[in-house]
Amino acid sequence: MIKKRLVAATAIATLAPLTLAACGGGGSNEPGSEGSAPEAVSSLTVLDYYTESPSHSQIGDQLQKCGTSIGVATVDHQSVPGPTLIQKVLQQASSKTLPDVLMLDNPEIQQIAEAGALMPLGDFGLNADGYAPGPVSAATYEGQLYGLQPGANTLAIFYHKDVLTKAGVQPPKTWDELKTAAKKLTTDKQYGFAFNATADYEGAWQFLPPMWTNGGDETDLKSPQVAEALQLWKDLVDQGSVSKSAVNWKQADVNDQFIAGKAAMMLNGPWQIPSLQREKIDFGVVPFPINRPDQTSIAPLGGEAWTVPVTGDQAKMAKAAELVKCMNTDENQMIRAKQGGLVPTKLALAEQYKAEVPSMAGFTDAVANARARTGKLGPKWPDTAKVIYTGMQLVLTDQAAPADAMAKAGAS
Amino acid sequence: MSDAETLTTATEPTAPSPETAPAPRRGRRGEQIAKILFVVPAALTIIALFGYPVIKNLVMSFQNYTLRTFISGDAPWVGLQNYVAVVTDELFNKALVNTALFTIGSIVGQFVIGMVLALFFHKNFPLNGVLRALFLLPWLLPLIVGSAAWRAILEQDSGILNVTLEGLGIIDTPIPWLTSPDVALIAVILVNIWLGIPFNLTLLYSGLQDIPDELYEAGALDGASGWKAFWNITWPNLHAVVSVVIMLGVIYTLKVLDIILGLTQGGPANATQTIALMSYQRSFVEFKFGQGAALSNILILISLVFAIVYLRATRRRVDE
Amino acid sequence: MVTHQQRLAARQTRRGLRTGIAIVLLALMLFPVYWMLNISLQPSGGTLPSSFFPPQPSLAGYATAIQDQGQNLVTSMVIAVGTVVLTLLVATPCAYALAQFRFRWISWALLAILISQMIPGIVIANALYTVYENIGLLNSIPGLIIANAAHAVPFGILIMRAFMLGVPTSIVEAARVDGAGLVRAFLSIVVPISRNSLITVGLFAFLFAWSDFIFALTLTTEGNITPVTLGIYTYLGSHISNWSAVMATAMLASIPAIILLVIAQKYIAAGATGGAVK
Repeated sequence: MIKKRLVAATAIATLAPLTLAACGGGGSNEPGSEGSAPEAVSSLTVLDYYTESPSHSQIGDQLQKCGTSIGVATVDHQSVPGPTLIQKVLQQASSKTLPDVLMLDNPEIQQIAEAGALMPLGDFGLNADGYAPGPVSAATYEGQLYGLQPGANTLAIFYHKDVLTKAGVQPPKTWDELKTAAKKLTTDKQYGFAFNATADYEGAWQFLPPMWTNGGDETDLKSPQVAEALQLWKDLVDQGSVSKSAVNWKQADVNDQFIAGKAAMMLNGPWQIPSLQREKIDFGVVPFPINRPDQTSIAPLGGEAWTVPVTGDQAKMAKAAELVKCMNTDENQMIRAKQGGLVPTKLALAEQYKAEVPSMAGFTDAVANARARTGKLGPKWPDTAKVIYTGMQLVLTDQAAPADAMAKAGAS
Repeated sequence: MSDAETLTTATEPTAPSPETAPAPRRGRRGEQIAKILFVVPAALTIIALFGYPVIKNLVMSFQNYTLRTFISGDAPWVGLQNYVAVVTDELFNKALVNTALFTIGSIVGQFVIGMVLALFFHKNFPLNGVLRALFLLPWLLPLIVGSAAWRAILEQDSGILNVTLEGLGIIDTPIPWLTSPDVALIAVILVNIWLGIPFNLTLLYSGLQDIPDELYEAGALDGASGWKAFWNITWPNLHAVVSVVIMLGVIYTLKVLDIILGLTQGGPANATQTIALMSYQRSFVEFKFGQGAALSNILILISLVFAIVYLRATRRRVDE
Repeated sequence: MVTHQQRLAARQTRRGLRTGIAIVLLALMLFPVYWMLNISLQPSGGTLPSSFFPPQPSLAGYATAIQDQGQNLVTSMVIAVGTVVLTLLVATPCAYALAQFRFRWISWALLAILISQMIPGIVIANALYTVYENIGLLNSIPGLIIANAAHAVPFGILIMRAFMLGVPTSIVEAARVDGAGLVRAFLSIVVPISRNSLITVGLFAFLFAWSDFIFALTLTTEGNITPVTLGIYTYLGSHISNWSAVMATAMLASIPAIILLVIAQKYIAAGATGGAVK
């Protein structure tokens, strides 16, 4: 079964240059020679979007150390700006020059796997046993695992401890409490709450906590539960607790507002913690509130996974899989989590992580329950995400009522 | 189609062809070859760089081109299906209208302001060169930097523009520049005008400089000055440069992508969605490359129609 | 009775007034650039200063930029200057030919050139990647220069042609009658007369190459050649952004470029054509 897949993958990789001749494909990877002894691999190429310092060098170090430990002398680490990663991958796919190891944001894994560009990790003996369910479902397509994600993040509500104490407000646990607290905390100089509602995947991502917590599902966007979530967002803006600028604020802008004291609470993720600590903000974190007592707070899964593209070079792909495995060892998960403001995805590491990094305790629990965006829709998620952010913006710009916004946005 | 040939200025009647000068037969052939050689490097460059993309884009628009195609090479032929799909998309009409508004608003604003500034700088005064060069500063800054700065300036609550306008008493409530579907397109047009001013200013200024002073001196003797001088001397002589500035301006504006993406991502609620943006999103966000190619071909068609109509129209003016 | 002295003084006042107005106009135009300066001096790295002057200006962004971006600045400069040279070399003769020679296919050529300008940059970059990959021009400065120049050539042809339409054929003819070859006439008569348009096109070729992002991104795969437009992503991650370092980089990078532009602008003198007719 495995051999058949390898042969099929190799055949596709061999045939592809012929069919892509018009595009001028002529890469340097030879078709795999299955059955012969693996040649020594002296270098691997890795592509990701960690352009910024210090992440770039931190990841680079981890990759290099892993390379050495598996007998690969050089690891070429290339980073491109986030929005341009997929374009780069497509260019490289056309010219048969895909990297040996590819980082993918978790909601993109299934789409790229569906296109036939990734090797199932099971072929190399890798599995995701002991991982939180979210990362596993994001990286699984048609029953096969395609990526291993060492760290995860999610969304929660941050609040200024002193501001809430001074106003006599408790951190909200329910939607009603959220609305009351936000209203009470809104003054001339500050909004009670801030979230991001832009017309892109970030906006859709930030809408998932209320949508999922309320029982709404991405497979049925016209349901009343989703409408109620839209109503929450609308109420918060209408009552003046959230700025109308939310439709134009990215998560980074929301963080800026929070740091500048223009918002008492915000919906954001743990990657903002280093900047909060740098500005000496005394902040607290609570999970996203629930609407009705029988609900649990559900937040979306964030974070990136390492995958092995189909390059046709058997020896390199095997070594690439080893590199992916190495980046996911307990030790490397802990390192990456601490450096990147993430939570290790292996459930066994949770207690240790909470002990070593108490500020991330809330997030650690949330990640264990975090839900993958592509869990149900797989490669069809992007179309649904578009409907979600369009519907959300229609509501926030008073162009549609929550009850029919999603239908108007094109929900099926 | 010989409109382009007649984009001449009114300085001198064009003399008969230089080939009337007597020359030995062999020299004449050599000269023909030399003339072709003037054009060859440019022709090769253009065909090499632009030829393949044009054709590939055209072909792709008739195919079902997906992520899978990049790996397997399959791109089944679907005829006009992509075009039908994008034109009947409910977003298309809105994007078309927005594109028209955006383009017309940008070009009118950029051109008029650029022309006024060019005329202003045409007179000699201290620091003229330095100040003119500094007008190009916005073009030296990466677009992502520019759009980040503008987003900060146009921010509804704390952006400096609203703060200033309120402080001066010009407005009572903050203007929702980028957050209201009614205002967002205007805001984006304003930023695009700002971006386009250096282009128009520099080219129109150079055009003005090329008009010989003698014409103005001769005109002054006839009593033409100020507004009359502009209409009778400056404007006719600037014709070729104005044509090319407007034509290129429209073509480039139709393609504008990064500034809109940076400012509003096409929102709020598709208020700033344009055809160029739709094309980009179809291809690189939704991975429906065939539809993305169809949209960019529609844009090219619009540019082409404009170019032809504009050239025809300006040709008639010259003939009058 | 206005004396000569009084007329002179009046003219100087008018001129001074013009300079004043020009400075005000420039200040309005460059306000967003001032805002970038404001952001670059913010200690926190966010984009949220709401006061005209930063309350606690910090040079941390500049320190970071100077430390990291020196090499990138040189790369940007080399690519931009190379692009100017190559663009002018290729576009100028073609512009002249399309302006003054009598070919039957000129309209079609112009149409083709116009169409080339209608194609989105990303489509071109994608196609170019495959070609470059095959001929081994990836990750090279000459490769980027060629790509940027090829991209600027059609624009250069259209602009220079518009200017060259006004070159009086009589002077070229005069030179030819005196025995000069076509090329010699072109180089010694047409080029000097067209100085304004050459400099203008050179300016724009420089600006296109300097602010190019898409070719730099697409045609490099190793991260060893990073012009400033790519280099700023050291401070822009998908989650975290350090805008003060980004703005500081942008500001610092513009200084040498602006100096070049100021020098170039001084050469766009008045009446270049007029002088030659005499």
